Order: sequence, then C-alpha cells, then structure tokens
Amino acid sequence: MVLTPDFDSRPVISFQHVWKTYPTGTEALRDINLVVPEGDFVFLVGPSGAGKSTMVRLLIREEKPSKGKIFVEGVELGRMKRRKLPYYRRKIGLVFQDSKLLPNLTVYENVAFALRVLGEPDRLVQSRAAEALDTVGLAGKEQTYPSNLSGGEQQRVAIARALVHAPRMIIADEPTGNLDPATAWEIMQLFLRINSRGATVVMATHNREIVDLLRRRVIAIDAGQIARDDRSGRYHDDVSKPQIRAQ
Amino acid sequence: MTVLAATMTMFRNLRFALNSAWQSFWRNLAVSLAAVLSITLILILGGVNLLIGHAFSQVLDGFREKVSVISINVADDTPLPTVYGFQQQLASDPRVAGVKYITKEQALANFTADPNNAILAQQLQGNPLDAKLEVRVRALSDVAAIDALARQWSGVDPTNPTNYQGDFVNRMLQLSQWLGYAGAGLLAILVIVSVVIVMNTIRTAVFHRRKEIEVMKLVGATEWFVRGPFVIEGVMTGLIAASIALALLVIAYPPAVQQFRNDIAFIPLSYDPGFIASLARDLLLGGAALGAVGSYIGVRRFVKL
Repeated sequence: MVLTPDFDSRPVISFQHVWKTYPTGTEALRDINLVVPEGDFVFLVGPSGAGKSTMVRLLIREEKPSKGKIFVEGVELGRMKRRKLPYYRRKIGLVFQDSKLLPNLTVYENVAFALRVLGEPDRLVQSRAAEALDTVGLAGKEQTYPSNLSGGEQQRVAIARALVHAPRMIIADEPTGNLDPATAWEIMQLFLRINSRGATVVMATHNREIVDLLRRRVIAIDAGQIARDDRSGRYHDDVSKPQIRAQ
Repeated sequence: MTVLAATMTMFRNLRFALNSAWQSFWRNLAVSLAAVLSITLILILGGVNLLIGHAFSQVLDGFREKVSVISINVADDTPLPTVYGFQQQLASDPRVAGVKYITKEQALANFTADPNNAILAQQLQGNPLDAKLEVRVRALSDVAAIDALARQWSGVDPTNPTNYQGDFVNRMLQLSQWLGYAGAGLLAILVIVSVVIVMNTIRTAVFHRRKEIEVMKLVGATEWFVRGPFVIEGVMTGLIAASIALALLVIAYPPAVQQFRNDIAFIPLSYDPGFIASLARDLLLGGAALGAVGSYIGVRRFVKL
C-alpha cells in the first residue's frame, strides 16, 4: 500500500529547551520542551500569537530556534545543512489554511507536483496521484482547476498532495480554518485515517469543536510557553480534571 | 541509488524543467515579451557596436596595410652587393615580412605606367628616380625602428632616405588603440546595463510566481530544481531575442554600409557577408548567456531555502 509509511524510530519529534526570539525582540517561544512519539496525533492549541505557527515553522525548518534543539527522527534541525533541507521536507506532508495550491495547475497536476520534484517516473506519479485523490474522495476531478473547487475540496487536494509521497509525518497549520463545520469534520476524518495508517500528525488549530470531540493529545500554548499537555485533552482547560503530562 | 536510476531521475528533472520553462513562457506571455524586447534592444546595440567595430577594423586594416610598407631609396652610387647585403639583413629581421628590390628602371616603368603621372612622365629627361628597397613590416609599431635602421645604412639616398610618415603612423596607431578601448568600454557598459535590466525583468516575472516557488520548496524541491526552469526560460528568451536582433541587423547592415559610403566617401567602408556568421554566433551566445545569468540572479532571492 503506497500510503502506508514504514517507521523505524521513536520518538519522532523532540523539542529541547527551545526559544525563538525574532529580530524585533518578540519572544515567540520560551523554553519549549516536548516529545511526540511515532504515530501520535497532536493538536497545538492556543490564542492567536501564542506561538503555534512559530512551532510549525520551526518544524518545517522555515526558521531556526534562537536557543535549544529540535530533533526530528534523530536529526537536529538547527544543524541541518541547507542542501539537506529538501530531502528532509520530502519526509513530511504539509497542509496549510490557505491550501497553497497552484492556480494554473489542474487538481491532478497539483498532486503530481509533489512527486515530480522527487523525479519519480511517470507511471508511478500517475498511480500514486490517482490513489491519493481517491483517498481524499476527489476521483473524477483530476482535470478541474482549483478555482472551480469549493474550499473543502481545495483542502482535500492539499491533503492529497501532502500524503501522495507517503510521508512519515503530517504537519498541518489551521487546515480547517476557512471551512464550515461540516466540511471541517470531513477533512478531520481524512487526517484521522492518515494517522490510523501510522503517520504522525501535528496540527495547529483554533477549531474547538473538533478538538473537544476527538479527545486526542492537546498541547496548549500560551504566550510562547506550554500551558498544558494533556493526553486526551480538550480545547480549554478543564479545571476539574487533573492535568496529565504526556511524557 | 544506482547510476542508471540517478541518470533517469536527472533526465526526468531536465524534461520537467524544459516543459515548465516552455509552459511558463507562454503562460506569462506579457512578461516574457517584455524580457524578449529588452534583451533584443540590448543585443541590437551590442550588434551595432560589433558591426561598427568590425567595419572600422577593416578600414584600419587597409590603412595599416599601406603604411606598413616602407620604401628605402637607394643612392645611385651604391654598389649592388651593398644593396643585396642590406636586403639580406632586412629579410632576416623578424620584424620584417618581406623585402623587394626595385631597380631604377623598374621604378621608372612603374612611374610612367601610372596614368596619374602621364603628363609628368613626358617631361622627364633621363631617370631621376632612385632604386628602392620596399620593406613590408609585420607590426605597424615597428615601422619607425625599420625606418631608423634604414637611415643609418650607408647606401641610403641622404636627400630623400625613406617615404616614412611618422606622424601619420602614430596617429593611426593611436586611433586604432582608442577605437579598441572605446569599443571594449561600450561593450562592458552594455553588458552591465543589460544584466541589470534582464535581471529586473526576470525578477518581476519571478515575483509573480513566488507562490509556485514557495510550494516547490515546501514539497522538497532542491534549489536547482526550482531554479532550472527559470534559467532555461532565460536562455530561451535570450535566444529568441538574439534571433530577432540578428534578423534586424542582417537586414539593416548592407543599406547602412551603402548609405555611409554615399555620405562619407573617403572612408572605404565595405559590406562583409563573412562577418554575419561570427555576428550570429556572438549574438546567440550573448543572448543565451544574458538570459541565463539574468534569470540565475533574478531568481536567487526567491529560491534560497
């Protein structure tokens, strides 16, 4: 099965005393410590500006930590050489709020694009792209352009593109941010299915209903610090329930 | 990865880059045409510079040919062995390309054969002309030294030793040097200006596609995978521009030479069809290089991971 990655190490992600201070002096993250084991499903929650997106940017190595270390599959991202970066990114699937589809490419071309950059042969590109589109329920829409799709369908294409190369980890930044509740729920089903096949999912979100409904691991960020890390958490802190540290 | 697999991947990447470049050229036609237009204008300027340089070097070559031959007048009483001895000495000089001895009789025959001298020749009594050693000097800058050598020779006619025109030769040398500097300077300015223009045109084109580049980087494209299509597109743009510039120059070259000759008859400018091939090579290479360098620099800021 193409979409099932094979894992060989645990834990997958580890933040060790990570600080991020921007040149303006803003402290986006302060002494973050966390471990995400292989196959985990983690929600990063918190108010806007809390530092969730900074964590995502650090994870995809768009930025480096100011202090501390981030390990992904045993590799320290801060020390990773620039020329190694593309190969690291090929191991992860990324989904963003604005889907980041290329408007002048068809649905099929957008999904196939992720495999083209790997230099995969045509036959493999075709079969994997078809399989990924089938997984997200978009079979038959291959030749449609993104502008002719609904927001939910566009996000499905983005998910198909994120999983087409069978990544070990999916990182999503507000993937349901622009969607109505019903569509958001459908999209979440896709992430759950990908996770059930073994991929680690890290998702920054504001969607309270979904977080509360799924009761997965929740890491709440507030003012650049981890305020809470619940194994089976809710969006807001439940004072009556004792907090359980994940690790 | 085996060598075969790596080669296959490389070919697939190259095909992807070529396809992307071709599609992007047509999809962003307005910006592509702006780039073609700017490179065409630059190449026309460069081509005109090359053509003018070539035309003047032809003219200068003609002048050089004339002034690099120096006539040494031989005094009437000089014994023939002395003349032959000096001829031999000159012929073995590495600065000299050839020496020809012209006797008094030959000199007179040449003089009277020239229709311009017809009236003068009729009035001549006897043979007042000197025998000559006609020396062809290899480099224009050595003519003065050969002239000095001739003047020291015992057999030279002391009243009229040589026909060397030092001032004229020096001026020719200076003119040819200045024209060379001016041409090179103009070409250098053109290259710098053109790279800046092309770079900015392509940067504008790339700016419109920054989202595409961002997505490419996020899905794990290497810097060269992102840059490749842009550089190929730059080369394509440069080659199209060079073809247009070349066509226009080839059409305009003969009438321009004709017009010049009509207006300034004393400068013997001539049309040289043989130069078209070298002009085509220079323009196509220049266009391709300009497009490639402009794209490479233009895309760098957006591509950096």
